[in-house]
Amino acid sequence: MLKFIGVRLIQMSLLFLVFLSLLFFLLQAQPGDFSTQFLDPRIPPENRDLIAARFGLDAPLWKQYLTYMGNVLQGDFGVSFQRYPRTVVSVITERLPRTFFLFTFATLLSYYLGFVLGKVLAWRRGGSQEMSITLGGVLLYTVFYPWFALVMIWFFAAYLDLVPVNQFLTPLRWRDAPFSANSVFTSIIWSTLLLSIGLGLALWASRKPDNETQRRLVKWGGVGLTVAVFLAFWMPHEQRTYATDIAHHALLPIFTLALVAFAGVMLITRGSMLETLKEDYILTARAKGLAPKTIRDRHAARNALLPVTTSFVLGLAFIIGGGLITETVFSWPGMGELLLASVLTQDIPVAIGALAMVGALALIAHIIVDVMYVFLDPRIRYQ
Amino acid sequence: MALEQKPPDLEIGPPITGLEGSDDEPIIAITEPLWRIRLRLLWRSFKKNWGLFAENRIGLVGLFVIAIFAVMAIAHPILMATAWGGDNREIYDPVIGYDAVVKEFTVVEEVTDPLSEIELIDARFTNINAQVGDVIEQPQQPASPSSRHLLGTDPLGRDVLSQLMFSTRAAFFLGMVAALVTVFIATTVGSIAAFFRGFVDAFLMRVADLILLMPLIPILIVIGGFWTIELWQLGVIIGILNGFGGVAIVLRSQALAVSVKPFVDAARVAGGSRWHLIFRHVIPNVLPLSFLYMMFGVTEAISLEAILSFFGLLNVEMSWGLMISIAQAEGYLLRGLDVWWLLFPAGLAVTFLAAAFFLVGRAMDEVVNPRLRKR
Amino acid sequence: MTTPLVEDSTGGLKTGDTLLEVDNLIMRYKTKQGYVSAVEDVSFVLHKGEALGLVGESGCGKTSVALSLLRLQADNGEILGGEIRLGGKDLVPISEDEMRRHRWNDVSMVFQGAMNSWNPVYRVGDQIKEALDLHWPERLNRAETRQRIGDLFALVGLDSDAQDRYPHEFSGGMRQRAVIAMALSCNPQVIIADEPTTALDVIVQDQILKELKKIQADLNMSIIYISHDIAVIAEVTDRTGVMYAGKMVEFGDTGDIFSAPRHPYAWLLLSSTPSIVGPRRKLAPLEGEPPNLLDPPSGCRFNPRCPFATDQCRVEEPPLRDIGDDHQVACWNYEQVPVGITSGSVV
Repeated sequence: MLKFIGVRLIQMSLLFLVFLSLLFFLLQAQPGDFSTQFLDPRIPPENRDLIAARFGLDAPLWKQYLTYMGNVLQGDFGVSFQRYPRTVVSVITERLPRTFFLFTFATLLSYYLGFVLGKVLAWRRGGSQEMSITLGGVLLYTVFYPWFALVMIWFFAAYLDLVPVNQFLTPLRWRDAPFSANSVFTSIIWSTLLLSIGLGLALWASRKPDNETQRRLVKWGGVGLTVAVFLAFWMPHEQRTYATDIAHHALLPIFTLALVAFAGVMLITRGSMLETLKEDYILTARAKGLAPKTIRDRHAARNALLPVTTSFVLGLAFIIGGGLITETVFSWPGMGELLLASVLTQDIPVAIGALAMVGALALIAHIIVDVMYVFLDPRIRYQ
Repeated sequence: MALEQKPPDLEIGPPITGLEGSDDEPIIAITEPLWRIRLRLLWRSFKKNWGLFAENRIGLVGLFVIAIFAVMAIAHPILMATAWGGDNREIYDPVIGYDAVVKEFTVVEEVTDPLSEIELIDARFTNINAQVGDVIEQPQQPASPSSRHLLGTDPLGRDVLSQLMFSTRAAFFLGMVAALVTVFIATTVGSIAAFFRGFVDAFLMRVADLILLMPLIPILIVIGGFWTIELWQLGVIIGILNGFGGVAIVLRSQALAVSVKPFVDAARVAGGSRWHLIFRHVIPNVLPLSFLYMMFGVTEAISLEAILSFFGLLNVEMSWGLMISIAQAEGYLLRGLDVWWLLFPAGLAVTFLAAAFFLVGRAMDEVVNPRLRKR
Repeated sequence: MTTPLVEDSTGGLKTGDTLLEVDNLIMRYKTKQGYVSAVEDVSFVLHKGEALGLVGESGCGKTSVALSLLRLQADNGEILGGEIRLGGKDLVPISEDEMRRHRWNDVSMVFQGAMNSWNPVYRVGDQIKEALDLHWPERLNRAETRQRIGDLFALVGLDSDAQDRYPHEFSGGMRQRAVIAMALSCNPQVIIADEPTTALDVIVQDQILKELKKIQADLNMSIIYISHDIAVIAEVTDRTGVMYAGKMVEFGDTGDIFSAPRHPYAWLLLSSTPSIVGPRRKLAPLEGEPPNLLDPPSGCRFNPRCPFATDQCRVEEPPLRDIGDDHQVACWNYEQVPVGITSGSVV
């Protein structure tokens, strides 16, 4: 298992380097020139050359490439043209947690809901209800996403006035805040991560005891305990009001992104369930006298989960792209917004860095899914 | 569309007797030319598959929606030449048209309804003597729907219906380019990988993995941001990335399944060259699946085009994405239903057309994949 | 162990007593084109300790009979009439929830194609445990469950430790053995074996059949074998029913039926099967195709393929009649059928 993860990590790192190289050359080939975009046209040519030399832009392409890759390996993505002299890494580290937050929550939410609804949908095959939900799912899946996000903003923020319009915090409230937004962010991410691990453990442990009442006890006890610990951590916490402010702002973008990603998961789960339901072991399960709900959840859905997990990998690119649009439309200052801004201002180092990070995110998620798959399907045992 | 073919109803000519080996049974000669048999086979399989397709109401809904959009696309140039042509051209041109719809506004201190009230300071621009409480005539942009502009005008005074119909053509064009490139690339790559196996296969599939892993939208944003891309170029780029990625992987496994079928062996034994085998036997059997992915490719292309033009990263005169982008840039979107003609026609057009192709793709999926059929 | 591993749960029925009675069972599948009459007016009796065979071409309704006994027919299948009495209790009218309690507990099944009868993501032992948890009278703890499954495995010739393995780690024969162990797990009164050996190679097929036969004899089990394979039925059953197009056409002692079939279909079926014992003979081909069950032929369903068909056969449906020796035939002209399996050319 460890060896498998190791091999995958090495493969992914190589893939990442290939991706980065492609990006480097792609952006080298772009028609613009940084000196015309970022320097005052009145600067004399000699000085212009000097500045180019200071950034290493006068060297031949292959040398620039080697320098760049060498620097990347040491964790240095260069400096931003637009925000000079800030380094790309510092810009990205500021943005990354926010994107991670949005992405993780929306992904988990959409997969959970999509799977549950998809399996119920397949179970009740036929009827106009199924057709309308399927049609609705397809419409959500193919919806023009930026527009949908705008409509959501209009409806929930402007029309119903339930959530704040844009941004990820209320600047007025933060003006004399004793902490940086990112430190609050980090606490939120860690505490929710621990919360979800706690919930997962509780559900896992609840399958062990033999009798039903004990199982229920362990399940709800575990869930209650985890939630209690979570609340006990946050209620007296000095950052609490600031954290709720962020959470309040995060609500709509997460919900919007999850809603769109959810539709795809639901459709895939439904299709995969329908195929699973035709398998012989479902007939065996029925012959054993198992209750319909047990057959659906324990036998059909469990096997339908495998193709859904595979589709997760394919869906990653989709949800990352969606996340990027979400950030832009909601003015959520994360990686996606950074990428678009850097592209529009021709800030090449930041653009490469941001795109590389987005790619790395996809690769890491891919490895996680690979490892999960091993646990889900006993037929696959990596040697 | 079905992968297996049944023997044709052959027109049987008169028995030829007196030849070698005809002692017991007469040799049956087929007198009909081969192309007619092929055509009839094609027609028959089309009819059968259409029957299967038509069973699926969702697929028919998709086809219907596509047909509506097709009518819109065709109608636009006709309208521009007739009702919207001549002197009206300046009003109805989707890109450079302009029409100031004059409407009465009440002059007020503070505007609560921008569609019927105007602030004093603004009113004085055109009417220096305006007073609070006066009702004055003002050009309205965007103008709400009227008999002159069925879907109103946009913030620049252009006819929304004309823009909507004009953009339909672009969407079809882009979808077509992307789909054709997707199918061409995916079928070729998939068949070659499956047929040659070994190193070629491994190499092509690793490239496909790489493309599949990479998020398409950010990459397109970078490309669109640093280069000026035209619509057809976008179609080609989407087609390549799409076709070389996931679709190639699926088609490769299909081609693998086909290339071990007995009829391929038979053709090989009969002395068919590699290329003959690929083009005459493997590819024709992979194509049905390709057409399926073509539909999904169109869906993706339409969405991506809208997204890129929404961000202003595509060099296009007018498109649905651009319409939304303009409305948003002018700050009209948070007004929601008040300016519904800016918000909904374009947004729903993208959604519906993309969904329609997706639905047709799904219905075709049930035809091509017998496993998915109800019974 | 003093208590037998697989207990007699039939409430003191003696060998030869009536255990399961199927009376005029009618089951049809509803399709777009109309009703497909898969099981039409089928009746038979299964005695305690008996092995009963149902034989016929594929699509003749054997499996539909088996599934109907557990009320497991596909969603579009409906039991339109008849009774299925298990120990005197009719299973047709009871609720689905009540029926679930009878499944596996009273009637269990060895499915066609054991390869796919196992859910690939769970351990074999856990899948048997599932049935035990549901039906065993008292709650078994972990060790007891393991013990019981281990004993069952020993009975069918598997290692006790095999219960910790996943289905894909088993060979075809092992999976089939495990399926039999699972079928035995809850002490059912009746086991239905639907093509229990079809997917296996001949050697394993033989082993499994011997195993089944031995278990049946040792435990005095009542088994219904369903197969298209005449050899299998002949080898393991006491009595046999021959089915054609959803109807029972002949029923009687296996020895009688295989030595002297009285129904033209049974006679042709056997004549078309090669045998390595007895005199050499020419095989008679069974011509034509089974009828379309959406629109079965009028009169006797076999009449279009029958060499002995008369006008009566084309109009009037023959009932299943007793012709002595507990032998029943549904044919107007059974006397014309030659006695014994002979050369095929009759007409």
